[in-house]
Amino acid sequence: MPALTVTLALIIFGIGAGSGALGALLGLGGGVFLVPFLNLVLGFPFGAAAAISLTTVIATSSTVSAGRAGKQLINMKLGMLLEVATAAGSFLGGVTAQFISQSVLQKMFGVVAIAVAVIMLSRLKRRNVILDPGADPGRLGGRYYEHESGADVIYRVKRLPVAIGASFVAGNVSSLLGIGGGIIKVPVLNAWCGIPLRAAAATSAFMIGVTATAGAVIYYGHGQLQPALAAAAVLGVQVGSWGGMRFGAAASSKWLKVMMAIVLFILAAMMFVRGGR
Amino acid sequence: MKLERAIGAVLRAGVLVSSACLTLGLLMTLINPNGALPQALLNTGIIVLLATPVARVVVSIAQYTLERDWTFAMLTTVVFLELLASAVAALVFNRKL
Repeated sequence: MPALTVTLALIIFGIGAGSGALGALLGLGGGVFLVPFLNLVLGFPFGAAAAISLTTVIATSSTVSAGRAGKQLINMKLGMLLEVATAAGSFLGGVTAQFISQSVLQKMFGVVAIAVAVIMLSRLKRRNVILDPGADPGRLGGRYYEHESGADVIYRVKRLPVAIGASFVAGNVSSLLGIGGGIIKVPVLNAWCGIPLRAAAATSAFMIGVTATAGAVIYYGHGQLQPALAAAAVLGVQVGSWGGMRFGAAASSKWLKVMMAIVLFILAAMMFVRGGR
Repeated sequence: MKLERAIGAVLRAGVLVSSACLTLGLLMTLINPNGALPQALLNTGIIVLLATPVARVVVSIAQYTLERDWTFAMLTTVVFLELLASAVAALVFNRKL
């Protein structure tokens, strides 16, 4: 672990800002970029990198959800139901992470980074599920006002066990690898469970605060979380995601997604090379 | 709706307090790396950050109980217990204990 200097704090703040901005532009948490940078470029142990990343996930979740609460985009009931599964997955991941070697975690990260890239590329054009305006939202479904169409979007939750299973896996991966896990939940909720992309993303962003906390607490107790370094990363991510949301709304995300998928493939390859030793 | 507003307020307060502590703690650590106050501020910032989602879950339990929505009061209680289990695991892993 390198000693804290002004330079290191600035570097981590900068990496955090970059990851946060990319995350906001792509609708991802920035963790998938932050963890490899801290681990591979700065040489932090994998657990320390994951711990720092999880604190930024919590900060992003709280900030974004505070701004959205009351606008009905977050499906709180569905979120709280699925949190039972993500928190369980995350707790188990946090406990087992302490016993898994760095090289195995690096290879796992490589696999997940490739999966993220493939999902991103396969969803370049997809926008939404087909909605039935007369649907009864039921107990878990939702309703929110969509600005573009000027109408209420009503949806019903389908295949709840699939959503619960995906949430458990997302929670597990989250605390093992230090990412939010939205990349696993959002496509599943959208493609299989009938939840509009925006509501799925908002609900996932709401949930990852609890998910990441269940993991981060364990790293913190284990002494793997350096508060000063986490502070630099958290503040960087806050600034970056604020900037990304403010200036990135108009940017065409298609080329950005292709570019980021390429970056992810490279990061995955680097993780495999390091993990292979 | 009441719940959404309450949750929004809890999250906003948590973010503000933790960001303030982390900013101040980080700047002071960079000036004086061995001070006790900067370390305390940084740890407070991290603990508030970690406690914010927990507080949000507690508020949900209270609100669902008031509304007599027992299913969701129970589900949110389970989430709270899982977070508690993580905290217990954290203490077990803490070598200082």
